[in-house]
Amino acid sequence: MNAIERGFSRRRLLKILGMASSGIAASRWLAPDLAMAQQPAPEKPVETFTGPGANSYWNSVGPYVTEPQKVPLILLTDRPVQLETPRHYFRTAFTPNEAFYVRWHLEGIPNAVDLKDWKLQIEGNVNKPLALSLPDLMEKFKPVSLAAVNQCSGNSRSRLQPRVPGGQWGNGAMGNAMWTGVRLRELLDMSGVKSGSLMVQFQGLETGAGPAGFGSNLFLKSLDLGNPVLDECVVAYLMNGEPLPMLNGFPVRLVVPGYFSTYWTKCLTWIRVLNAPDENYWVKTAYRVPDTPRGNTSPEDVKAGKVKLVPIGRLPVRSFLISPDGSAKIPAGMNVTLRGIAFSGFGAVNRVDVSDDGGKNWMAAKLGENHGAYSFRTWEASWTAKSPGRYSLAVRATDEKGNTQPDEPVWNPGGYLWNRIERQELVVGNAS
Amino acid sequence: MRNRARASFIVMCSLVMAAVVYAELKKGYYSPAQLGVLRQPAPVELSQDSNFQVSAYPVPAVELAPGDGLQDVQIYCNTCHGTRYITMQPPLPAATWEAEVNKMNKTLGAAIPEDNSRKILLYLQAHYTPETRKQ
Repeated sequence: MNAIERGFSRRRLLKILGMASSGIAASRWLAPDLAMAQQPAPEKPVETFTGPGANSYWNSVGPYVTEPQKVPLILLTDRPVQLETPRHYFRTAFTPNEAFYVRWHLEGIPNAVDLKDWKLQIEGNVNKPLALSLPDLMEKFKPVSLAAVNQCSGNSRSRLQPRVPGGQWGNGAMGNAMWTGVRLRELLDMSGVKSGSLMVQFQGLETGAGPAGFGSNLFLKSLDLGNPVLDECVVAYLMNGEPLPMLNGFPVRLVVPGYFSTYWTKCLTWIRVLNAPDENYWVKTAYRVPDTPRGNTSPEDVKAGKVKLVPIGRLPVRSFLISPDGSAKIPAGMNVTLRGIAFSGFGAVNRVDVSDDGGKNWMAAKLGENHGAYSFRTWEASWTAKSPGRYSLAVRATDEKGNTQPDEPVWNPGGYLWNRIERQELVVGNAS
Repeated sequence: MRNRARASFIVMCSLVMAAVVYAELKKGYYSPAQLGVLRQPAPVELSQDSNFQVSAYPVPAVELAPGDGLQDVQIYCNTCHGTRYITMQPPLPAATWEAEVNKMNKTLGAAIPEDNSRKILLYLQAHYTPETRKQ
């Protein structure tokens, strides 16, 4: 090759390479379908509401939002704040504070607490009213720690048919933490509950714009003084060994092990002993469930006035498959690990079963470390699908009292107590 | 001789080009997306005093259906809670919306003037029932 030829071919080469790159651009522009055929379509956002059918997603369908001290969580409402924890944060027994779900009732929620002024007051029908600072709580009492699941009464409300109004939670209005603080009983004993007292009322820092005397003004919850759970309650200033996020109740929140979260007053500031039944909206009207097995009833029976309502109490047994979550297909013949959590407010979970045929046949899963009766218990099972297809995975927990998850739905007007067996479809593809 | 070299050079380059195009199509696939919808929060400057404070809780705009009564909804409902409480709900039957408005007025003490209360109910029924909900 001579010099002229080299020059020619260099020019030619540049030209051809230029053509090649515009060819790539053109091929993308002219034939996006060709590229589409090679790869799945990009993720599309879900519609931000579901219904009137049941929400079919594991979580609720709102957008992600970043709130103070939180990772992006799923937004239900912003004023007051209600946020749901995405599914993948439940792979572990303890839910990270920054991912822990949030549920307030009234729009006036604190952005700040000045610990110079803040005192936990114990008042009402007591011999000696107390006002305890955070150092008092940390230093004057022996700290106790316990792992306990906090689950919103309306967790999974979006599953109900027919749908009921309220926070349209998927499954992520729950979390488990190691709570450390002072036993409520010690505080009550120090203050001296007078004889003839009936209930103990809890009030936090949240306030609403509604008129005094209405549920839109204050969020107040009470427990009967005869309820044995009071001996297990903890006024917690640590959550997983860290101060509580403001949105989860800084500086202290009440922990009522085994009970729904409605009793776990955030930013707890007043503990009030009552000598009369608490008749406020949040006790007398809200958070009540039918006095029937599983709290189940029908719209017809409610309309006919046949349903007797009682305050909501303990968490029915539940379990979840966390991963795989169905977002990716699995090659046939591959041995994968199924992972999830289980809990019950009635006693420790001692058995989790898994099915890959929608609940016809079951096999026992291996339980993870035991962090106590009120904690999430992790479970895992290894699973191989030999041939391609759609598999309906189901998971079912049983607690030490023999309570097990039924396969029938629940319906009640408040949308509480959902604990039906969960299912997840997994798609298995050809491996060769 | 020169033509043959040129021809084979062009064939070679075409093959390379085809291979590059093919590899490009196989290796990755991108689509336009909106960036900055969910911004990372900047680290917060913390003081050492006794005041434990977080920033304001964000209130993103709510997309409510346009129509008669929207202004009443924005004025009265917003007094106690954000209107995302409406859009978050599934489509609810007209009677359920009526029960909700009654609950706010009577059980929770909102006491919205009758005329405005009726406008709010009609608005909710016009845009948020299984038959009427569009967005």
